[in-house]
Amino acid sequence: MKAKISALMDGELDAQELSEPLAALGRDVDAFETWRTYHLISDALQGRAMLANDCLRRVVARLAEEPVLVGPLPADVARPERARWFVPSALAASVAAVTLVGWMAFAPQEKAAPLLAPVAQVPQPAAVVAAARAAKDAPARLPMTAATRDYLIAHQAFSPRNSLQGMAPYVRSVAAESAPVKP
Amino acid sequence: MSRTLGALLLFTVAGWAQAQTTPEALDWLRKIYRATEKLSYTGTFVYQQGDRSETSRIARLAGASGGTEKLEVLDGTPREILRTRDEIRCYLPESRTVKVDRRSDPRAFPAVLPEQVGSLTEHYVVAMGETRRIAGFDCQAIVLTPKDDLRYGYKLWADARSGMLLKARTFDRNGITMEQFTFTHLEIGSVPRERLRPPRTAQGWRVEQAGVAPADLSLAGWSVGAELPGFRKIVEIRRMLRDTQPVAQMVYSDGLAAVSVFIEPITGRVEAPRIGIASMGAVNVYTREVANHLVTVVGEAPAASVQRIGNTVEYHRPQ
Repeated sequence: MKAKISALMDGELDAQELSEPLAALGRDVDAFETWRTYHLISDALQGRAMLANDCLRRVVARLAEEPVLVGPLPADVARPERARWFVPSALAASVAAVTLVGWMAFAPQEKAAPLLAPVAQVPQPAAVVAAARAAKDAPARLPMTAATRDYLIAHQAFSPRNSLQGMAPYVRSVAAESAPVKP
Repeated sequence: MSRTLGALLLFTVAGWAQAQTTPEALDWLRKIYRATEKLSYTGTFVYQQGDRSETSRIARLAGASGGTEKLEVLDGTPREILRTRDEIRCYLPESRTVKVDRRSDPRAFPAVLPEQVGSLTEHYVVAMGETRRIAGFDCQAIVLTPKDDLRYGYKLWADARSGMLLKARTFDRNGITMEQFTFTHLEIGSVPRERLRPPRTAQGWRVEQAGVAPADLSLAGWSVGAELPGFRKIVEIRRMLRDTQPVAQMVYSDGLAAVSVFIEPITGRVEAPRIGIASMGAVNVYTREVANHLVTVVGEAPAASVQRIGNTVEYHRPQ
């Protein structure tokens, strides 16, 4: 997966190859850390100003405010030259990563884990935007009321579950408001 | 610690990747669909979600015209639902109401045919599970694991002889049970017609007709953008939900799960709408306001999916 993430960063993947590493980034904290570390390495090696501690958080916050579709360009789009600097040798990458992580450990840094949440839930770029937007105004939890029942009955008539299970799923649409029986 | 976790993760991922749809499992699924359509039966089943459970009696008389079915909830108030090919009637004693959904055009109520089962493999891995005895029947388990986080997974246990579904469990991406239907008693075979009569107590109750009619919401300026991958629009209608104004309904489905989008004007409502998300078992209901209309999304899908569809509903004044 590390090689794929590296290739993704370098814009070397075809459109159809994108989904796997992108899904991994959304699902797998390790993969996301790899992605983040590679970017740090890239910045360090190119002598760019080091990424600020809360850069990720600010990007996520900006995304939440401004739902614009973001995603890596497909491979057939003209690639900027800078993509070539990074040789995706696993050994070089690990050495660099270890050095950098060792050095980073002394830098004052906040825990990154909570920042992952809005991104980690969903794999697709469009979904990232949707999730960021949703995170901004997380909906209130509501109880199921008798009024909701009208919608459930109307919905159930069109559910393909009826073909699989007969009428049984209808029991949800007429469920009692209060807890009927504890098992 | 983290190494153990990593190994565990690798193990899980490897297990996930190996699971594949088998022709045998697909045949079993077809057998279940056919049994649901062809069999007559009476039985008692328990519906469980969270720490709640409710027992119901069900009867089905198969027939050339699609059969007749009746569901009676045995716990709490005695709610009943009767279904024929042309009509669904819900008898709700608390409000002394009968809700009637007449199917003027049966084609508007799409049924899944056993021949279409193959297309489910686009979004689910269909695999064989264990064998187990349920309510006296030797059952074969079939597992439908979703290929993404947009839908739930299902485990179905069917009678090895008839294909009748004895138990169905819906689970989320962490394998946690969202809801479960389990037969505790089942008799397959002829059903006396009086088991399918409407309740006698319902005389004099208020009757609410759904009055379903085809509709085109895009003409009215409504759009549902960026639909969920794999979910196709299968129905677009206008209908009554109560004795108030008509409501628009669009239904999206991936062949197994379905999500309905309801749109209705807020004006004329007695109480202010409550914005947010409500859940019961595998059903999530998301409510939001768009252009002075109430948008209600009901789906047998994870809350995030239901919310995602709801958030793409837009209104543009027609030119």
